[in-house]
Amino acid sequence: MLYLVAIGIVGTLKLTDAINGPTGFILLALATGLLIPIARQRTAGCASKAMVDYNRRVLVSSFGYALGLGIAVTLWDNYELSRPVVFAISLLPTLPTFGVIWAMARYLAEEQDEYLRHRTIMAALIALGFVLALGIFWGFLEMFELVPHVWAWWVLPVWAIGLGFAQLWQKMRDA
Amino acid sequence: MKNRLKVLRAERDWSQQDLAARLEVSRQSVNAIETGRYDPSLPLAFRIADIFDMTIEEIFLREEEPRAD
Repeated sequence: MLYLVAIGIVGTLKLTDAINGPTGFILLALATGLLIPIARQRTAGCASKAMVDYNRRVLVSSFGYALGLGIAVTLWDNYELSRPVVFAISLLPTLPTFGVIWAMARYLAEEQDEYLRHRTIMAALIALGFVLALGIFWGFLEMFELVPHVWAWWVLPVWAIGLGFAQLWQKMRDA
Repeated sequence: MKNRLKVLRAERDWSQQDLAARLEVSRQSVNAIETGRYDPSLPLAFRIADIFDMTIEEIFLREEEPRAD
């Protein structure tokens, strides 16, 4: 929760131009540190060992993402870069997001509790349906010039939002 | 699928957490199986049966009677 508040504050400061780009990315990277307590949960709690490992991997990937994005945007804003270099810097924020996808795959492979695994798979499918439906709808709205263009990397955050809502619904149902 | 888990647990005075610990699964798993929201895999069903020293058919009940033909 504290992490989401921190992200919201950094985002607001950035949107209102209260802070510049590099400062925003540094604060974003520091805010990732707020996730450390989640990643250090022990299996004695409600999280399985696979979930603890997943949280740790996502934390490392998120930190790499914030750092990679900050470096890439700073280089892009301040230097005249050749196409191969632009290709290389676009990998800086991309590769850590592959780490998040890999962490999800490892979680499904390592989770020993079949019901928790089943629940995560169902939530992932709901999130997939959400991102496909929204993507198709947005695509046609964009084609008919009703909405602005959206970059394709939004699929992962939108999918993650769908996953979050699906897991929240599952938690409320199981309570 | 209907089952007698809740009754069997109550007879032994076990909480959902107790049964979960014996099965080495989460309490959510026991709750989901008990309430019929999730049907366990065959290996887990055998583990449940072993813990109660019963057969699977004595714990998990068919939704419909088998056809008599």
